[in-house]
Parts: sequence; structure tokens; C-alpha cells
Amino acid sequence: MKHLPPHLQRRSFLKLGIGAAVVLAVAGGAIALIKPGLFNGRLSPSARLLMTRVGQAMLQGTLPADAQAQQTAIDALLQRTDSFTSGLPDHVQAELSQLLGLLATAAGRRGIVGLSASWEDATVAEISAALQAMRASGTALRIQAYQGLHDIVFVPYFSGEASWAGIGYPGPTAV
Amino acid sequence: MTTIIDPITEGLQRGWKVLGGKHGALPERITCDVAIIGSGAGAGITAELLTKAGLNVVIVEEGQLKSSSDFKQREPEAYASLYQENAGRKTKDKGITILQGRSVGGTTTVNWTSSFLTPADTLKHWQDRFGLKDYTTEALAPYFQQAQTRLNISPWATAPNENNELLRRGAAKLGIKAEVIPRNVKGCYNLGSCGMGCPTNAKQSMLVTTIPFALDHGATLLVETRVEKLVIEGGRVTAMHCIAVKPNAAPVEYGKVATTIVAKHFVLAGGAINSPALLLRSKAPDPHRRLGTRTFLHPVAITTAVMKDTVAAWGGAPQSIYSDHFLHTQPVDGPIGFKLEVAPLHPVFFGANLPGFGEKQAELFRNYPNANVMLALMRDGFHDQSVGGTVELRDDGSPLLDYPITDYVLDGARRSMLAMAQIQFEAGATMVYPGHELAGGTSTWATTKAAIEALPMKPLLTKIGSAHVMGGCGLGGNDKLGVTRPDGVHWQLENLSIHDGSIFPTSIGANPQLSIYGGVNRLAQGLAKRLGGNEVVLA
Repeated sequence: MKHLPPHLQRRSFLKLGIGAAVVLAVAGGAIALIKPGLFNGRLSPSARLLMTRVGQAMLQGTLPADAQAQQTAIDALLQRTDSFTSGLPDHVQAELSQLLGLLATAAGRRGIVGLSASWEDATVAEISAALQAMRASGTALRIQAYQGLHDIVFVPYFSGEASWAGIGYPGPTAV
Repeated sequence: MTTIIDPITEGLQRGWKVLGGKHGALPERITCDVAIIGSGAGAGITAELLTKAGLNVVIVEEGQLKSSSDFKQREPEAYASLYQENAGRKTKDKGITILQGRSVGGTTTVNWTSSFLTPADTLKHWQDRFGLKDYTTEALAPYFQQAQTRLNISPWATAPNENNELLRRGAAKLGIKAEVIPRNVKGCYNLGSCGMGCPTNAKQSMLVTTIPFALDHGATLLVETRVEKLVIEGGRVTAMHCIAVKPNAAPVEYGKVATTIVAKHFVLAGGAINSPALLLRSKAPDPHRRLGTRTFLHPVAITTAVMKDTVAAWGGAPQSIYSDHFLHTQPVDGPIGFKLEVAPLHPVFFGANLPGFGEKQAELFRNYPNANVMLALMRDGFHDQSVGGTVELRDDGSPLLDYPITDYVLDGARRSMLAMAQIQFEAGATMVYPGHELAGGTSTWATTKAAIEALPMKPLLTKIGSAHVMGGCGLGGNDKLGVTRPDGVHWQLENLSIHDGSIFPTSIGANPQLSIYGGVNRLAQGLAKRLGGNEVVLA
């Protein structure tokens, strides 16, 4: 937690901004197992895996179909995600770090995402179905978590100029 | 390819006094006649008038100094360097995403240039409910006129782009009046990149008008410097403590005061949310518990249409046509009224704001060149069930707006989505997607109407945005009605004035920049006189 400013260093998991009570209820005793999702503002290894799988589901139909081209696109996406998250204010980084850390645990994945298979083993169809259920859920925490993931996929994806051709954006007019 | 002259680069070469960040270290202590907090709409107008009056002014801005040579029309760089919280500032429950500026020029550096007078029914409401007797259309007219002249504000004379034209076309078919928007531009290239900072300096933002004027007349500008606290003693502000901040707003060094500014008078103009937050951090007197309350957002509901023909909503003046029809179909304090406008669409803004993902979303992305996003800006603050939000502080002292989205606002979201979808179909839409997590696209007005009527309108499910932040230090005719006196001075602190959108006692019911320019023009002229300066006018 050395990357966080002093006021966020103390046991801040218990203050998760997106609904600490629900998180504790869901995660139960597993709270001690949560590792931060961001290190120095960048995705941790477990958050990278999670965001790879969420990216594959959310960008289905937008990412290239060819496996190798898709991997290249995901790698570029995660690089832009790092640059996006590391520029966010400290309090947003802290919150995202907690969210990604929580969703990477089995308890968070099952309780909040509603996904029983691991992030590694779940199929894209299973992840998509789980995300759709979060999106339509009546629980504020699940919708907030879904919308947070949506932001950190789509903002970095369309930040890349490589995305422009696929949607027909000609780029800015030179002056 | 033409060469654009960057007035900021030139000014720095002429010897402007700019400190902070790469511009140089801050001295331990600064004394001046007037310290102005912020550099946006209210701060800029105040800085020009006070320097014109011969006063010694220091302007303190939290964001960076960026100018036309930095403005490359790229969203990621613009959002990171020119907006609060990377253009992703959210309300406490995450139900509303707020676009608010954060660089020299404040939101005026990145707004879409729409320049409306304060509506007469808004001013009438302030007179009746907030005891603001001299806030009449007639009394304010000369001050608005000067602001319009100074910032070259006039109705956009060039043909609207298709994104705006389709609002006019669809509305006309339904007998709904839509009109041309006045803009603050001079020699506009019609690029459509206003939201990323004007690369040609055509937009008459504070960055290229009043701030350069003030710097040319001896003002000092501190950038990447945040006022953490006002020191309050005996009903007066005696000094303010500033810290150096990084581009992401984090302190360069925790707990270290970078400079202390001592002034005869202080002008708070950090914008709604930030201005009340500084007063909260400073434990300013608030005997009637008004501070930070009644913060308004013009909550915005959206519908996205795919049109038959190409729209290319990224190019051309972003906003040139509007309709106030739905502000006038019921009383100002009845069901929430809304103003209709359109949004310019660049890839990140489009991709991030459309609900949904996956194959279905991919299909909509492929229709991006034909897309139109219509906006309904809801006029909050005029009804008992529309009290807006309350500014709080996080543990680190940063502001957080708690704005519960009430059924009163959500009723407006439903009515406005219906109005917008119908206009879009009349204008030639082939599909309309309401801004709601449970909505899919529908291809006829009848099916869309049925779909919108059936949607559960709830916070988070209903997508709500905001680009206008107002209130939190509201004007009041007496100290029980507001934080700020009608002359702009804090009710309990005699040498502190508040000159920004935070003083509005309700939302405006129109894009607020000109309301800030005109109102603050009057306040700052009065302040200059009271401080013993020369008599001045803005134009």
C-alpha cells in the first residue's frame, strides 16, 4: 500500500466507497485475502487477468475476431487502461483498487459478479451473461461495480486511435 | 495548414508573472490587494475588472496552464489535463457523471460555447423566493450587454451542422419551436473540438480574454496550486494557505503549505462544488446551515438515435440549435421542465456514455457516423421536491457531492426521453436507444414510446449526466436565505466575496456561462468601487 497517500494507507478496505456494508456481507471472512487491484495506479497481475476477460466480453464484436490480432488489441487496451487509471485522482484510484481487488477474489467474483467459474476458466459467454445480470440488477453495488468496469474498458478502448477506423471516425481536422 | 499564434506563449515571453509547476517555485508569502481563487468564468471577469481598477491581484488556479499549442483535439489528453477528475467526477452514489473544467480558464476553456441570458422566469423566482430584489432583467441588462460585447457573443450565423439541424427539423414537424444558440466565438473554424480546448483561440474563453488582460495589467497567476484553507479570525479572512498539486490533483507533498497569501479582500471563484468545499475545509461560519446545500446540476437525460443519413456529429459547432418548448409547457415550479440540445460526439464520449456492451453495442458503434445524441437539461431547484445536492468532504478534504436522484427528476427523465425520441424519429431516425441500462434499440416511434413508458426509472439504471454545476453558496436577501449577500459578499465574512456559479440559488434553466459573466460583472464593478479602485466597466 506504499503507493497510496497517508490518509488512504490505514486499513482502507473497510471504507470501500461503493457500499462497504454489502461488500463485507458478501466477502465475509475473505476480506483479509483481498489484494489491491492497482499498484502505483496500474493494474496488478490479478486485475490484469480480470480486465482481459471483462474486455473480451464487453468488446465482443468490436475487437478483431482473429485470436492473435485480438490479443494484440487487448494488450494495447490494458496499456491504455494503466495510463488512464494512473492519471485518476487518488480517491478514485483507491476505490478502483479496492473494487478490482475484491472482484478478483472468489467471494467477490461469485457474490458481486455472479460468476462461478474462475476468471481464467469462465467462457466469454458466461462472463457476458454475468455482466448483463449485474447491469440489470436491482442492487446498487452490483450496478455501480458494472458501470465502473464499463468505464475502465470503454474509455481506454476509444482513447486509442486504432479504434477510430472501426467506427468510421476520420480523426480531427488539421489546423 | 496555418500558423496559429498562441497568446499564452507570447504573454509568457513578454514576462507575465506566472508561478507554480514548471513556471517556477512559489514564494513562502505573497501579499496583494485581492486574492482570487480560481480562474474560470467568475474569476476571469473579476480579475479583468479589478486590475483595470488599478488593484494588485493574485489569481490561484489548481489546474495546469494549457493553451492552443497544447490543444491537439485528442480526448484522452484533454480529459486528463482540462477536466475535474479526468472528466469522470461522480456524485456520491455514482448516479451522475459531471463534466467540469480544471485548468486556467476553468470550464470556459472546455465548454461548448452556448451563451444564454439568465431566463426572466428564473430571475422572477429569485426575487420572489430568495429576496433578491435587484436581480431583475432590467437591472442586469447593461451588465449582460457588456459581457456580450467583451466576449463577442452573438447568435451563430453559419449553417448548423446536421447534428443540430436535425433537432430543428424534427421539432418543426411537431410544431415545436427551436432557435439558434448565441456563441462566444471570434473567427471560429467550425471544427467541433471546443470540448478539448479551442486549438485556434476562436472561443472567447477566460483563457484568451480576461486572464491575459489581467496578466498584462500586472496580476500574478499561480498554477497547479490549490487553496487548502482560508484562515478566519474575527469575522474576516486574514490569509489563505496554498499547496502545490500534481496534474491528478494529489498534493506534491502531503501537509506542506507551499505559500501563504495575505490580502485585503478575497474572492472565491472555484466553481460550484469546489467553492463550498473550501469554505467547509476552512470551517467558515454557517449559522443557518446553508453552506454546500442546494447544489444543482441540470441533470441531463439522453436518447441516442441512428439516423438514415450521415450526421458526423464530431464536426462543426457543437451546439447551435436549442428548444425551450418544454421549459414553457408548465409553470416554473411545476413538473420539472427541460431544455433540449444535442451533444458533439467524439469516440471516447460516445463509447463511454452509451449503456450496454458486446455484440449489440458493436453494431451501434459501427453506426457512429450516423449517430445523434440528444440532451434534455432538467431545470432543478424550483420545486419543493427538487432541493439538489449537498457538498461534503472526503477524509482527504476533497469535495464529494451527494445528489440523490428523486422521483421528481426521474419523472422528467421519462418525459424528456419521450420528447427527444419523437423528435429524432420525425427527423429521420431508424433506431432510437433511450439512455437507460434496461433499454434496447427500437425502430419506430410507437415501439419506442411503449418501451420508455415501461422502463423502471431508477437511479443508476437511468443514465444521467451533467455539465453545469450551480449553487452551494446561494445568494439570499437575508442571512437565513443564503450564504452570499446580493452584493456578492459572504453573509458572515466581510472581506470575502463569492463570484461564481455557486451563488445561484437555483439552477439557471440554460447553459450558465453568460449568467456567471453578467452577474459577476455587476458584483466585481461594485467591489472595485468599494475597494477604492477606479470606476470601471467590462466593455
